[in-house]
Amino acid sequence: MELINTLIDSTILNHTFQIWMSVLFTLMMLSFLFKDNPLYKLGENTFLGISLGYGWVRSWEIVVVPFLIRPLKDAYLDFQPYDITLILWLIMGSTMFFRFSRTKAWVANYYFAFVFAYVAGYEIPVQVQNLFVQGSNMMKPLFEQPSFFEISKWFVIIFGTFSGLMYFFFSKPHKGLLGKTARVGILILMINFGASFGATVMGRIALFIGRAQVIADNYTASIVLAIIISIFLFIYFKYLQKEPKLDDEQMH
Amino acid sequence: MFDQEFTISKETQRVYNIIEEMNEGDAVFIDWAFDPTLQAELLPMAEQTIKQCLDKKLRIFIYYPYVTGISLGENLLVNIKKEDKYKNIENGVEFIHLGYLPIDVDMMLFSSYSDFKSTFGKEGKIFRGIKTMDDIKYIMSISGSDHTESYIVLQKRFGFKLGVGVTAVIGPDFVPYLQTGQLDGMLFGLRGAAEYEKLRVRHGADKIYNQKADKGLASLSLSQIVMFLFIGIGNFIYFYERKHKQKT
Repeated sequence: MELINTLIDSTILNHTFQIWMSVLFTLMMLSFLFKDNPLYKLGENTFLGISLGYGWVRSWEIVVVPFLIRPLKDAYLDFQPYDITLILWLIMGSTMFFRFSRTKAWVANYYFAFVFAYVAGYEIPVQVQNLFVQGSNMMKPLFEQPSFFEISKWFVIIFGTFSGLMYFFFSKPHKGLLGKTARVGILILMINFGASFGATVMGRIALFIGRAQVIADNYTASIVLAIIISIFLFIYFKYLQKEPKLDDEQMH
Repeated sequence: MFDQEFTISKETQRVYNIIEEMNEGDAVFIDWAFDPTLQAELLPMAEQTIKQCLDKKLRIFIYYPYVTGISLGENLLVNIKKEDKYKNIENGVEFIHLGYLPIDVDMMLFSSYSDFKSTFGKEGKIFRGIKTMDDIKYIMSISGSDHTESYIVLQKRFGFKLGVGVTAVIGPDFVPYLQTGQLDGMLFGLRGAAEYEKLRVRHGADKIYNQKADKGLASLSLSQIVMFLFIGIGNFIYFYERKHKQKT
C-alpha cells in the first residue's frame, strides 16, 4: 500500500507532472484544429471518463454515504420511529430503476409525479412574484427619475416588444404598416442576437485565453510536447491512417 | 506590451462597495456554481471576492452546488494560504467549505428557514451567531448558468444583498435584473474579473498575486480587434464581389 501511495505522490500528485499533463491535453485538444485524429479522441474521452468517474466518486462520498448509508446503519443499530421516513424515501428513490423495464416503467412515474408537484408548488408562486417585482421595478424610473435615458428605455421596451411580436404575426401579409412594424421588429431581434453572439464569442475566447496562458507560462513543456505531437500527427497521417472502407451503399 | 488602462464599470464598483461597507464578522455566502471548465473567467472573481472578505475580516461560507467544483475551491484556498498576508487563515474560523447538497440548497434553506449549521452538517467557530440563512448579510453567486436566478427570485422576499459573477455567455440574461435593482452588483466575464482585480490593486492589494484576469484582458481586447477586422474585410469582399458580378 505504501508503495502505491509513494508512486501516486511522485507521479499524479507531482506538480511538474501535473503541469506537463495540463499542457499535453491542451495541445491534444487543439490538434483537432488541424484534423480529427486519435490524440484528440484520446483527450476527449479521457476528459469525459475522468469527469464522470470523479463526479461519481465524489457523489458517493458526499451524498450517498452521509445521506443514506450512514443513517441506515444508525437506524439498524438503534431504530427510531422517524427512521421510517428514510426507508420510505429509499423505496421512492429506488423506483427510478424501473425505468430500465419496458413493462414496469410506470412505477417510476409516482416518484416523478411527487418531484414535479413539489417543484411546481414551490416554483410557481416565487416565479410569479418575481415577474411582478421585475415589472414594477422596471416601471419605477419613469416616474421617479424622468431622465431622457430612462424615458427612451421605455420606448424601446414597449415598441421593441410590440414590433418583435408583429414579426411573428403571420395571419396577415407583411405589407403596409404591419410590414414596416415587422421590419423594425426584425431589426430589434437582430440587435439582440448580435449582442448575445458577441458576448458568447467573448466568453469562448476568454476560455481559450485561459488555456493559452497555460501553454505560454510553461513554454519548455509546450515546445517539447508540440514537437512530439507534430511528429506523431505527421507519422499517423502519412503512414498509419487507413483509408476508410466503403460499404455497399457508398460503392453504388 | 498590451498593458491598458480601463474604466471600472458601475456594476463592478457596486460589487466592491458592498463588501467594503460590511462590518467585521458579518457573514458572506459564496455560491460557487462553476467547475474547472469555466475557471478562466470565474476563478479570478472568486479569488478576489474571498480575498476582499478576508481583508475585511468577514466570515466566508462557500457552498458548492456542483460536485465537480469542490476541489477547485479547496485548491484556491490552499493557494491563498500560501500568500504571507493570509497564511494564518483557518478552515472553520475565517472561512468554511460547506460542501455539496443533493438538492437545491436555496429551496431548502429559504423555504423552510432550516437550521443553517445542521443543513450542511458542518461544525466550527465560524457558525457562531448564524442560525438561519436570515443571518447571512450578502450572497455572491459565481456561476456560468441560470442557477443564480434562484437567488434573484428569492431576493425580494428575504431582502439580502445579492451580487453575481457570471460568464460573458450568460451575462446578458442578468442585465435586466440590474436595471430593476434586484441585483446589487455584477461582474461580467473576464472584463468584470479584471476590473475587480484593478479595484483591489488600487486599494492596496499586492499586484503580483492579483492580476490573473488582467493578464488575459489584453489578449481579449486584441482578439476582438482581429475579429472586428475579419468581419469588416469579409463583408467588404462580399459586397465587392456582388457588385462586380452585377456589372459583368
